Amino acid sequence: MALLRNIKKKPKLDMNPMVDMAFLLVTFFMMTTTFRPELPEEVVIPPSSAEVKLPERNLATITVTKTGMVFFGIDNKFDRRELLGRVGRDFGITFDESQLNSYSLIATAGVPIEKMGEFLNAKVNRVPFEQEGIPLTDDSELSFWIRNARAVNPNLRFAINADGETKYPVIHEVFETLRELGVTRFNLVTEKTEEDVAKS
Amino acid sequence: MLPNLEDIDVDKIHGRDDNARKDAKREVDVDMNPMVDLAFLLLTFFMLATTFSKPQAMEILVPAKAKDTDAIKETPVKESKTMSLILKENEISWYRGITDPETFEIDYDESELLRILAEANSNTTDLVVLIKPLPSNEYADLVLVLDVMSYSGVERYSMIEPSEFDLEMEE
Repeated sequence: MALLRNIKKKPKLDMNPMVDMAFLLVTFFMMTTTFRPELPEEVVIPPSSAEVKLPERNLATITVTKTGMVFFGIDNKFDRRELLGRVGRDFGITFDESQLNSYSLIATAGVPIEKMGEFLNAKVNRVPFEQEGIPLTDDSELSFWIRNARAVNPNLRFAINADGETKYPVIHEVFETLRELGVTRFNLVTEKTEEDVAKS
Repeated sequence: MLPNLEDIDVDKIHGRDDNARKDAKREVDVDMNPMVDLAFLLLTFFMLATTFSKPQAMEILVPAKAKDTDAIKETPVKESKTMSLILKENEISWYRGITDPETFEIDYDESELLRILAEANSNTTDLVVLIKPLPSNEYADLVLVLDVMSYSGVERYSMIEPSEFDLEMEE
């Protein structure tokens, strides 16, 4: 009889510790994840044996896709607001509060400045918008972004995040733009080659 | 006057009778399974979406652009001390000197490039390597060459514009 009653009793499992653990991990991963910026094309970075880590702060990234579209972004949310304001002023365009807020959440953007307002409105309204890259031809807008970014944050370091299949003329243009503005030290983002990983 | 503590009927004040007390005592069971399911779903998502490997970076130093007001600071280099690497689409053409050079071709291959660099470096003091990417060059190949240069032991190298002679090599 006693045996039977024991079997009938519902087994209870205390799940609280497991749930605590699960939520702890969820929180951890949520905090550490940085989402890849939206780009119209995937950027496959070239391999090299370089072992310098990119800084996480004070970093401006110039992304170049394989068709030669150029994107620009800086790391700090507050700096981004100021940057957009300054670049807008250079071109005689004023952005409203919601546009500035929207820009401050975008890691990297590549639209001609006259379409920037339209692009940001599309972001606010969650409408798709095809980015076409920052124009490099005549009076390159990229130099405005770089100059103003340096004015906002003088400690900024520059990283060029270009696709391995990009043709040289675009890269050359970016190098020259940086050089003209006196940025003589910059980083090329590369991926560590697998053989080197195996070696170390 | 306050009544004695013993005289206060707590249950009466709180409006509870025996029945209600029984109710309150009943255990509350919350089904946590959906929450747990969700927690693990999120956990899985973030675990899969996270990449821990940070990209590496190669540092590049370029000379500042000379202003018109600057006195000419460029130092002339002896032809015999130069070695040019012309980066074409699928191969590197290289030659020593500038006038009527004999050109050679190699593939984009780290060990081969390293070999010719080491050879040139050992029989020339103060070797200057001129890297000239042609417009058809792909960025990954440029990175490969710069990478090899960084550990080849050659101290002086720079990227310069290809000359007309170099541009003619474009297929």
